[in-house]
Amino acid sequence: MDHITICRCEEVTLEDIKNTAKKHQCTAREIKLRTRAGMGYCGGRTCRPAVDAVMEQVTGEKPGHDIPLKVQPPVRPVSLSTLRGKQDEK
Amino acid sequence: MRNNRRIVDHPVLGKLSDRKEITFTFDGQTYTGYEGDTIASALLANGVRTLRVHEESGKPRGIYCNIGHCFECRVNVNDEPGVRACLTEVKDNMVVKSGRVLPSPLVSTVNDTLPRTYAEFIEQQEDKKGEV
Amino acid sequence: MYDVIIIGAGPAGLSAAIACREWDVHVLVIDEFVKPGGRLLGQLHEEPTGEWWNGIEETKRLMNKAESLDTDIRCGVSVHHVEKANDGFVVHTNKGNFEAGNVLIATGAAETAAPVPGWTLPGVMSIGAAQVMTNVHRVRVGEKGVVIGVNVLSAAIARELQLAGVNLHSMMLPAMNPVTKEHAHPKKVMDGLSRIAHLAPSAFLRFGSRFTKSDFVRKVATQFYPKSGVKMWGMPIHLRKAVTQINGKDRVESVTVFDVTADGKLIKGTERRIEVDFVCIAGGLYPLAELASVVGLPFQYLEELGGHVPVHNEKMETPIDGVYVAGNITGIESAKVARAQGTVAGLSIAKKHVAGKADLDYRLLQATEQVKTIRNEATIQFHPHISEGREKMEQAYRRIVNA
Repeated sequence: MDHITICRCEEVTLEDIKNTAKKHQCTAREIKLRTRAGMGYCGGRTCRPAVDAVMEQVTGEKPGHDIPLKVQPPVRPVSLSTLRGKQDEK
Repeated sequence: MRNNRRIVDHPVLGKLSDRKEITFTFDGQTYTGYEGDTIASALLANGVRTLRVHEESGKPRGIYCNIGHCFECRVNVNDEPGVRACLTEVKDNMVVKSGRVLPSPLVSTVNDTLPRTYAEFIEQQEDKKGEV
Repeated sequence: MYDVIIIGAGPAGLSAAIACREWDVHVLVIDEFVKPGGRLLGQLHEEPTGEWWNGIEETKRLMNKAESLDTDIRCGVSVHHVEKANDGFVVHTNKGNFEAGNVLIATGAAETAAPVPGWTLPGVMSIGAAQVMTNVHRVRVGEKGVVIGVNVLSAAIARELQLAGVNLHSMMLPAMNPVTKEHAHPKKVMDGLSRIAHLAPSAFLRFGSRFTKSDFVRKVATQFYPKSGVKMWGMPIHLRKAVTQINGKDRVESVTVFDVTADGKLIKGTERRIEVDFVCIAGGLYPLAELASVVGLPFQYLEELGGHVPVHNEKMETPIDGVYVAGNITGIESAKVARAQGTVAGLSIAKKHVAGKADLDYRLLQATEQVKTIRNEATIQFHPHISEGREKMEQAYRRIVNA
């Protein structure tokens, strides 16, 4: 059961998360930074609740009022030319 | 065969109206869809589920959320990468390509003799000089 | 520069746009999807009255009204950033940047995953994906499949799949793991279903509506426990079977199923394999509030509302002047509530632009009352304590704004 993929984008398994927590005895945020769970292409949209649920079980940290991992713009993948201000041709 | 996967008639939503046929390619193969189809729906109607492989593991992926959130359906459309198949309408002569495994700097290649640091490179150069 | 940019053309966004346009507010509505309607577009279920709630028709109704008011609606526009600037906001999209004095974030909800080993295989999709593929794109998701996760939403969509002629083998629970937790616990799932039994739409269980709540609980308590499950239009809903694995080399080929105890524990020796070519996973919905976070809104974690929700009041105002929210981003409820909230948001925004109209004040008051009325009349409740959740949010708003 531990081989189960939690973060699809980065292919982080339940086992990866548990082992990282055990090895580093760290906060939920640090586990995410180390494993990259929730930090892949989709911006954590698919796995964030799942990762938070695993974190709660592994570290005992209950969800607070703030969103656990800070949401940084851009919240959609954009090309460098878009960031520069160039519009899509289409 | 084409209509086999289409819900042509529905007890509440009614009959599917006639729509213009669209021809596009996916990984070099030609497929037919209908105006209003997304790339994802047109491909699924043609029995195609795999839209890309995971960039590192190579495992096949297809649609998951179908509404543009998960990005699992990202494909290359007319040379533009990272386009969500579930949010893009098919257009005539669209060239769609599936995502491939990307080279990874941490995966050891067959050619393990490649130097990994400048020091190793100098060492190899010295060895080569020695051989000649 | 627009008076307001509405992000999301679902029931909340569209009705907000209509309210704004009725008061001549300069509006731009943008949406990522290929057509307007949001997730309302794919909805289809029978109300207890026997009438059909048809998302396509409801969307048409909203669109006709919006179009008659000359509303600028652009689809295929993806927002990646919203920031405060000068006397308004800049909305960054893949089609350029747009400026407005106000912003309404009506981005709806995203699905919570209930991971099961093998869930990344092509052929596995969220339950919402199946709804969109079936009712919006009219494409069959597969030849034979199962739904993992039993709740109001998944049952309603399972019914939609059946209606469309898609062969569904059964509905089952996911196997227990740190993520699936209460979704994998038969008694908890049953409690969740029986709590809303008295509100059960006929789409879910026909016999449920004929019994009083206590009778139904009794029936459910005895009927949901048997291994054969309870049938919905010939398809079994199992609360005593769980999927431990989705199998296949390059695509879904089968699922591995175990019988489970009343606590969700696997019973040894009951392993079976069911051949399927698609699997739908249903873990619930949570507010999609990334843009709310990016623009700097504070949040409250409220389980009753579906998770982390941007702080707002019943006028759909937020602690940031000029930023409004409406729809599922404010908490998971029905499309009717989203639509009513959109009207409130639209009127709140209009009030800023149309000075001294007593009529507008009265309409805004009416609209906020209408949201409560619709909530109380709801036939599908995603959470039994939604009103309590809304009250907690109102208190949080007052606390934060007065701080």
